[in-house]
Amino acid sequence: MGEPIIGTQSISSAPALALLEARAVHKSYWLGQKEIHVLRGASFSLHAGEMASLVGPSGVGKSTFLHVIGTLDPATQGAVLFEGRDATAFSEEELARFRNETIGFVFQSHYLLPEFTALENAAMPALILRKPREEALAAAREVLQLVGLGHRIEHKPGELSGGEQQRVALARALVLRPRLLLADEPTGNLDEATGEGIHQLLTELNQKLGIAAIVVTHNQRLAERMPRRLRLHEGLVIDAA
Amino acid sequence: MKTRFSFGAAASALVVALLAFGAQLGLRHFVGEKTLLSPDAVLAISFGVEALGLLAAGFVASFFGGLRSREQFVSALLLVPIAFGILFLVKPPSFSYDRFYADKPEMLVWALFVGASAFLLGLWGASAGLLIGAGKKPDLAFAYEIGIARTHLRLTRQTALMLLWIGLSVPGALFGAGILTDWHAGARDLTLWHKVGACAGLGSLALLIGYWIRTRVLNARLLPGQAKRRPATLVMTFISIAGVAVGVWALTVVLSVMSGFEADLKQKIIGTNAHAMLLKFTDDFSDWKTVIPTVRAVPDVVGATPFILNEVIIANNKGSPSGAELKGIDVASVGTVSELPKQVIAGDLAWVETPQNIPMTAVAPHAGVSDQLSGDDYQEYLDSTFGRRRDHPEEGSASKIDPSALTKMPGICVGKEMSHSLRIWVGDVISVITPLGEMGPTGPIPRQKAFRVACILYSGMYEYDSKFAYIALTEAQSFFRMKDNIVGLEMKFRDVDQARGVGRKVVAALKGFPFRSKDWADLNRNLFSALKLEKLAMAIILTFIVLVACFNILSTLIMLVLEKTKEISILKAMGARDASVMKIFVIEGVTIGSIGTAIGLMMGLASCSFVQRFGLRLDSDVYYISYLPVLVDAGQFALVACVSVCLTYLATLYPAIKASRLSPVDGLRED
Ligand SMILES: Nc1ncnc2c1ncn2[C@@H]1O[C@H](COP(=O)(O)OP(=O)(O)OP(=O)(O)O)[C@@H](O)[C@H]1O
Ligand SMILES: [Mg+2]
Repeated sequence: MGEPIIGTQSISSAPALALLEARAVHKSYWLGQKEIHVLRGASFSLHAGEMASLVGPSGVGKSTFLHVIGTLDPATQGAVLFEGRDATAFSEEELARFRNETIGFVFQSHYLLPEFTALENAAMPALILRKPREEALAAAREVLQLVGLGHRIEHKPGELSGGEQQRVALARALVLRPRLLLADEPTGNLDEATGEGIHQLLTELNQKLGIAAIVVTHNQRLAERMPRRLRLHEGLVIDAA
Repeated sequence: MKTRFSFGAAASALVVALLAFGAQLGLRHFVGEKTLLSPDAVLAISFGVEALGLLAAGFVASFFGGLRSREQFVSALLLVPIAFGILFLVKPPSFSYDRFYADKPEMLVWALFVGASAFLLGLWGASAGLLIGAGKKPDLAFAYEIGIARTHLRLTRQTALMLLWIGLSVPGALFGAGILTDWHAGARDLTLWHKVGACAGLGSLALLIGYWIRTRVLNARLLPGQAKRRPATLVMTFISIAGVAVGVWALTVVLSVMSGFEADLKQKIIGTNAHAMLLKFTDDFSDWKTVIPTVRAVPDVVGATPFILNEVIIANNKGSPSGAELKGIDVASVGTVSELPKQVIAGDLAWVETPQNIPMTAVAPHAGVSDQLSGDDYQEYLDSTFGRRRDHPEEGSASKIDPSALTKMPGICVGKEMSHSLRIWVGDVISVITPLGEMGPTGPIPRQKAFRVACILYSGMYEYDSKFAYIALTEAQSFFRMKDNIVGLEMKFRDVDQARGVGRKVVAALKGFPFRSKDWADLNRNLFSALKLEKLAMAIILTFIVLVACFNILSTLIMLVLEKTKEISILKAMGARDASVMKIFVIEGVTIGSIGTAIGLMMGLASCSFVQRFGLRLDSDVYYISYLPVLVDAGQFALVACVSVCLTYLATLYPAIKASRLSPVDGLRED
């Protein structure tokens, strides 16, 4: 396990444990007999409150990487450590709790539940945590204010614009104040200006709430602005700093 | 994910299953010995407890994580030889009528059956464990799951009201139609509420049809593409609800009709035959006059009367003889145990003791004994008996006998069918022949005596009306040369269903041997067990309709799972547990099943009420009963509801477990 960790910014000043650490993660898909080796020993670590962008050409495995470190998809080989705890050894229940409380996910398309209002959508993680309905809705209202959607809480996703939908998705990811936000091309389907707005918001939230974040993007200009820039290349994570 | 074999799960499942099996054997023994419950009730209780225990065994195994089907299979496999060994040691009573104790093949079948049900019920029980997330931390809440299930089923307030409307108006209209026919026929038991309810039911259905036509018309006016499209799963949901409703409806109606037949039969049997008989193991019952007060003093006994019963041959003057059961009765007390005095359709029961009062002219039949005594068949009967005696008295057997001898002749009451086949009416003379005469050189010489018909009885049971004849007790004693002996006592109790227990109390009050009691169920065991078997067979066949409806639910849910893969993935990415996803689909399936069951029950209830009020005519020559009888038994309805909801729960398990095993990325990759 003593492999070199690529791209840790400052090992000396780091606290004892990184928030997130990927150790030589491999991920393969099989199409029949044919193996698609997407991640080939990717390693990296992220500290609490740190914000990073992840870039790379289409099909290189950015989404795959995000899913593996977000425990949505198990790694074929290697370990994903969260504050030193190995996520691959989690039981079904621990895994669910981890995804619920510690991680917030934002996907390329918003993936909101179409039958529920913005408020209910944003409250869903809190409801899953079995918080009382009133408490969950109050938390959702607060976080919708935070993303600037306080006035549209009773609308269903179909009645919101793309940018607003993505804000609701962001509110949903943040409602339980996770430690880590994983955003997979959150602005991919949006026009330039709206994408800019969402990125602005992400940066603000990172500063305000101290939530660590990894944001996948194709927009070079937005990626440049992040404090830390990662690039996925041939199945490895490279720190582009 | 491969899970390792858990010896803990297998061992605990085996232990609990063994406890369940032991409980079944023990209960069957102790409940059977120590209580007065019927054998059927004892079987139901002991095997019910065993089934619950086997469910619990699976439930316990699920606490070791997952369904644990492998472990349960191993435990069920081990259970078979152990159960066989236990059965071999305890030598349980057999289920077969041929032998008392179970033999080896029967025990083997029994043990295999226990193993198979342990496995199947175990999986069922484990599904409940899975549902509450028993592997780690049990989670009994299901608040947001209900919310999501509701969106899948599109159960908004509006659709729920619509469903309620449909679910109430169709049975309501049926109910209303029944009341209207009654109203039309001038029934008197209708309150204002009945009438208002009938109009409301019919009006509601009319409104529903109107609404449907209106939406059709409005839809037809819409431009192409303007109409709302319903997803296929929603249509399938409706079909599933309808399927369950139809199954439950059929089940409740058929079972209620069968119960109606059974109750009708029971009422007729008890009306003629009392609730129980007190007999002796010996032939000598001449102390009956001292026994009767003791019997009547036993609590819950409302009446007791002596009787004599023997087989005889009865013939009219034309000499066509037929076999009959001749019963000697005590007219004064027979009314306290049976309905005999109320079954008289012509003449008077008391005339068997005072035959001199039987008129010389034809007596007219009583009106209004039973509403089944009407129509052409009955008129034809009256013409051939009463009419013949009134219009052609010279043809009768009594015409050739001297009137002074006639008045001294003892009286006899016969059933309506016997009077029909012998063409006799009150006042006619018949001869009764007993084979139990004095010994002659070639065996007993039959003895013959003439009787005058004192009354004609109608019980509603063809068998009784064609086979039974009644004479005075003292007359029977002298005819059969019994001195003051009798055959036994007939008893009536406060509650028929307690007949077995009260009968035993009576025997105990008489210090047991040589007395014994036989209740009506003992006396008619074959008839009622045949009816019960028929009912069971019918229930099983009709349950298949519900089963087919459950396959509808199964496919609807599979479609829903496929349609909602993305949503399931999102929920799981947000941290929903497997158990939660499973709950969503179980809630959906059980909701479909419950709505269907509720509608079916109401349809069943309304249909029964309709049949009762409308009165479906039967061919009384075939059925000996003129209207289709129905008996609405609340327990039976509850049982049907229970079976139907349990089956729908089973139908949800496969799709629900499949859905819960989806991974968060399965749905996210889709587009
Ligand atoms: N479930 C799967 N089965 C087979 N192959 C897969 C699967 N998921 C991803 N892949 C393959 O893995 C590779 C990486 O996919 P991934 O979605 O991670 O790329 P990406 O970097 O996110 O691309 P994009 O920028 O277009 O979103 C692709 O070649 C894809 O075909
Ligand atoms: Mg991607």
